[in-house]
Amino acid sequence: MKLRSQTSAVAVYAIALFVLTLSLVAFARAEEQSSECLNCHRDRNVNSREGILSSQLFCYNCHQDPTSYEGFRAAKAPRQVKPEYFQKSAHKFVACVQCHTDVARSPHRSLSGVQCISCHRENYGSPGTHAEHLRLRCEACHTDSPFVTLDIAKNEVKLSHTNEKLVPITLAEHKVTDVTKQEFCTKCHTPNNLVGAPAMVLPSKSFVCIVCHYSPLKMGNPVFLIAVCIALIGMVATLNFWFKGRVQDEASSVHKKLQLGSEVVWSKIFSKEAFSIVRTVFFDILLQRRVLANGVSRWFIHSLIYYSFLARFSLSFFTLLLQKLSPEGEWTLTLINKDSSFVAMLNDLLGVFILAGVIWAMVRRYITKPDYIVTEEQDTIALVIIGLVTFSGFVLEGIRLLIVQMPQQIAFSAFAGYFLSRLFSAVNLDWQTIYGYNWYVHALLWALFIAYLPFGKLKHIFTTPVTLLLNYKRT
Amino acid sequence: MGQQIFWRFSVIHRALHLIVIFGFIGIVVTGFSMAFSSVAPARGFASFLGGADSVRYLHRFFAVVLYLCVVTHVFWLFYYKLILGGNLLGPNSVCFRKQDLLCLRDHIGYILAFRNAPPAFDRFTYWEKVDYWAIFIGMQSMGLTGLFLWFPEFFSRLLPGYFVNVAHVLHFDEAVLAVLYIFLIHLTNAHWRPGVYPGDWTIFTGKTTKETLMKDHPGEWASLNASPQSSAIGEK
Repeated sequence: MKLRSQTSAVAVYAIALFVLTLSLVAFARAEEQSSECLNCHRDRNVNSREGILSSQLFCYNCHQDPTSYEGFRAAKAPRQVKPEYFQKSAHKFVACVQCHTDVARSPHRSLSGVQCISCHRENYGSPGTHAEHLRLRCEACHTDSPFVTLDIAKNEVKLSHTNEKLVPITLAEHKVTDVTKQEFCTKCHTPNNLVGAPAMVLPSKSFVCIVCHYSPLKMGNPVFLIAVCIALIGMVATLNFWFKGRVQDEASSVHKKLQLGSEVVWSKIFSKEAFSIVRTVFFDILLQRRVLANGVSRWFIHSLIYYSFLARFSLSFFTLLLQKLSPEGEWTLTLINKDSSFVAMLNDLLGVFILAGVIWAMVRRYITKPDYIVTEEQDTIALVIIGLVTFSGFVLEGIRLLIVQMPQQIAFSAFAGYFLSRLFSAVNLDWQTIYGYNWYVHALLWALFIAYLPFGKLKHIFTTPVTLLLNYKRT
Repeated sequence: MGQQIFWRFSVIHRALHLIVIFGFIGIVVTGFSMAFSSVAPARGFASFLGGADSVRYLHRFFAVVLYLCVVTHVFWLFYYKLILGGNLLGPNSVCFRKQDLLCLRDHIGYILAFRNAPPAFDRFTYWEKVDYWAIFIGMQSMGLTGLFLWFPEFFSRLLPGYFVNVAHVLHFDEAVLAVLYIFLIHLTNAHWRPGVYPGDWTIFTGKTTKETLMKDHPGEWASLNASPQSSAIGEK
């Protein structure tokens, strides 16, 4: 009896020991499994150096191995990230998932691609370079891969996954383009390219282009520098000429004249007469009352040109301001895109108004010739410059819509440009090259406009408002 | 009226003062709404201005405007010296000279009733010069630390990274200092002191009267009577 009870005690003890061991093993395995889960499902703090490096190392686990892609059906080329490129790039202290935001999931793939603008917000749509390339994905230029492709369905230019022989190539090397060298432009901007780029690398817009276009606050091409310098010399000469006259009996000292003149302006602004000045600004300058008094058709012609320029200037200046203040805003994204239906239609409409005004004025000056119109050479020059600038702009838009193969439902908003692009498509010419030359014609004409400002008829843009303000009492 | 009027500030100085008023208020409200972004009203105000990007841009815009005013003052200094032929160390200059120390001593003596009359202040009194130069020099360090925070990538190529942190601290601390200086000391000194309360309109109208000139700037009044041409602005 004693023996049996001893035996059963040992058996119970052995079973207990077995169960304990088993549960320990199971627990240890569970522990092991959970740490395996945490390899991926750990929430790293990518705002810390440790989080960034461990996050990178986790991705490198597979992405350093050139053969790791072979088990995956979708992948046809190595997905190897080369540390010799990546660790020398500006992004070496950025976690992979900060740019590749949607890859941490199953199945492991990206639908949205790399998200550059989540950090580089202010660059998206900035004028000068980026706004002109809105339908390009960032990496199409900023990655050192020579193969780009146009996806007409998505209206998007992106990196190609194949080379020119349609052999799959890797895009995972992370070779970032050196944008201080212009060679990266010529991978698209060559004759007979397939992505719809003009055949030559064209300069950036200048700040003087803001009168009609959303443009950067920089000088751009040296041609504009020369034009602006000529205009400035003319303006200084005009001002100098004005200050040759007497100011309140002061004939010699320019300092005294400036002092007396500015004193008058100051005392008028801070007096009751400010209201008469505001009235002059509103009725005479903004509403062109005095032109209307000279004749309705005259006012109509002048308004077609004046208000169209004013509206385009306001729109492009407002767009620039908005881009600076809120680069990701909904309005900004619409306004920076010259192919968005609102901008395209408005710009075309205003351009047509300008052209109509110029043609109407020319008809009156050279064909119907009413008695009260005296045409001087400077009138002809001004009208011809404005007319040619506008016309070359429409031609430019037409060629652009044609060569970039803009989908019809988008291109249609720019009705005048679209009409021209249909016309051009009937003629089989090298439009990609013609576009570049036409761009220079358009830009040079505008540079001529700027340089001519203080010398001829166009001077009235500045002098007439000043004269009206000086005569504010004569209403 | 028939009162004799003297011109104390030319239009450019009046205009600059107006621009600085609005620029300073603008830079202060945008700067502090960023600095105190942990406080709900500051966040509310920032979103009213169009969000963090917008506030940052406006802050830098006002900074450029203010610094252009500083540059204009430097140009004025050259204009005053080279074209108007003014003396930068003379009695009409805003620069410090030995006379200011003597004026300070005599002024304290007058306040403590050791002297019967205040000293004969010239065109600018010593506290007006302190007002001017405190802001003028403060603008240089605010500008420099501000540039560090505007272009940290560029400056950390030239200097250790902690300079950016140092600039951050200095920029905030000096901003508080500048605000306290302007809204307490400058306003009290220039606009709220008895005699001109609630405001000294001279900086807005440019005009001052014979009585004010005789009372506040007796030294300048004396030199005006000695030779009418010696004032930089001149009388009308």
